[in-house]
Amino acid sequence: MERKVSWSLYLVAFLISAAVFVAGIYVGRLMDQNDVQELNSDVEGLSQRISTMQLLLLSGSDSEAFCPLYASELSEIDEEREKLGYELTFLEEKRNIDAPELKKEYFVIEAQSYFLSGKLHELCGDDSVLLLYFYSNRNCADCAQQGMDILAARDAVAPEGVSVRIYSFDGTIGSPIAEAFMQQFGITEYPSIVINGEAHSGYVTKEQLIEEFSK
Amino acid sequence: MDLIELLNYSVAFFTIFTTVFFLLLYFKYRGRYYAEPEWSGWTPSISIVIPAYNEGEHIGKCIESVLALDYPKEKIEVIIVDDGSTDDTSERASAYGDRGVKAVRQKNAGKGAALNTGIREAKGELIATMDADSHVTPGVVKGLIPHFEDPLVMAVTPSVKIAPSNSLIKEFQRIEYLMILFSRKLLSYIDAVPVTPGPFSMFRREAFEKVGGFDEHNLVEDQEIALRLQAGHYKIRSSVSDGTAVYTEPPDNMKDLFMQRKRWQRGGVRNYWKYRHMIRDEFGDFGMFFIPLNFATLGAFFIVFGLLLNAVFNMPYYAQYILVESVALSVNMFTAIGAFVLVASLLWLYTAVSSFRSERIKLRYLLLFVIFYWYMMMGANLLMAAAEIRREKCSW
Repeated sequence: MERKVSWSLYLVAFLISAAVFVAGIYVGRLMDQNDVQELNSDVEGLSQRISTMQLLLLSGSDSEAFCPLYASELSEIDEEREKLGYELTFLEEKRNIDAPELKKEYFVIEAQSYFLSGKLHELCGDDSVLLLYFYSNRNCADCAQQGMDILAARDAVAPEGVSVRIYSFDGTIGSPIAEAFMQQFGITEYPSIVINGEAHSGYVTKEQLIEEFSK
Repeated sequence: MDLIELLNYSVAFFTIFTTVFFLLLYFKYRGRYYAEPEWSGWTPSISIVIPAYNEGEHIGKCIESVLALDYPKEKIEVIIVDDGSTDDTSERASAYGDRGVKAVRQKNAGKGAALNTGIREAKGELIATMDADSHVTPGVVKGLIPHFEDPLVMAVTPSVKIAPSNSLIKEFQRIEYLMILFSRKLLSYIDAVPVTPGPFSMFRREAFEKVGGFDEHNLVEDQEIALRLQAGHYKIRSSVSDGTAVYTEPPDNMKDLFMQRKRWQRGGVRNYWKYRHMIRDEFGDFGMFFIPLNFATLGAFFIVFGLLLNAVFNMPYYAQYILVESVALSVNMFTAIGAFVLVASLLWLYTAVSSFRSERIKLRYLLLFVIFYWYMMMGANLLMAAAEIRREKCSW
């Protein structure tokens, strides 16, 4: 039977579809850029907030009377910091958006927040567990599972009143602050965890984490 | 780019391409959309075969509509084949005996068998097959006959529609039937009509002599006969004009609707698989475009279903902490392309529905159709196709 559909019709359909597709890709890239910019602005906002708190501490307001204020402020900062971390990971894992510079800035915030927590512990006796988590998105089979186990362990001990503050660092993107921490704690492999200053190299199970948190 | 992304983009491109292709086909032939061949005044004898099983409720309206056809009465033969009904179908049909309606009764053997019984009884040069729950408008026969002036045309399909109603489920099917009718018309431009609808189709007697009668063991015998005609290199034409309108009674509840679609889908998968050998150049666009398109569409359904499952089960653990944000962050490049796919589908739907000058669909029904019915039926069709792994007894 004779073919009625000419190749030109297929070609025109293909070209229009390709144009629509390219337009979709273009709009998608704009969305990607917009998301990164928004996160960037969130990171900057958080950074300013942390700087304000540091300024308060430096200006001599290290009286114990300010402890409730510090605790509440740090708790809010932590909440926001953690949310930003998830969002960055989501972009990286689910959208394949690499934003190394943004990550580096975020790690600086993590470090600042970690030091603030330490200060809060010294000044106000805050007994939160401080956990540094070092991971790599390259050649680390256990890192994804380790990340989930840390969250699960934190959630498991929360009802017992144990607070765990988590600070995650990708050690392979050239972040000076992450590398400094790794040097300080002798971290050479991924995943690795530092719990209240004590380093654990390699994968740590959820059960072991719960035990450590409950000590 | 990983496999998931590749599949996502492939399905999106396939959907956009198919939609654009058919829209281009429509715009190419738009001037001939309502055009019918010139009638030379030829008035062949017509036999109208109406198989019926427990259609006591509808058979009267069906016969009355046939008796009111605008066609010389002496040229029309009406044959009702009662397929062993347990209601009063037979009595109601027999009551029309004095008006020339021939009622034949057989032991329950299925619709295909009933159609073949009627065809064996038929004496007309043209044979129309009709569902007992349908009714014709007076001009349908006169409107379809001119298509048979082309000796290669073996079957012609009319404008099968559903009458407007206040029932939401019927309105959804009404929109769906318009889309099917629109698609069938476009396919007729490229000699790729894949079905001669059960509600009403007209055949040249010779068609049955050349390719045989209806398959008595087929879930969708009206599709199988069309595929057989295509395999025999015969043409099937399609009309969308109001003068050839045939109204059919759709299922009025979800259970019956799903049962009907189950039959269509399972039968359809079997039939296309049976005729897969037609993917050859000698079968023109039907073989080289339409049949592969069907397999590709089925494949795309499975891929979309798999991708949805993957998205649900592979949501990161931490997404529970940023549920709202993760939904917002999920808006990505693929979402943008997906939005274009949705727009293309809506354009297709709008073009299909608005191509029928006399049909008025309420906007809210169209929106509800897209939001609820369309995707629900796609999902249901997919599951039914997946279930097509075992044979079952053919039934009504």
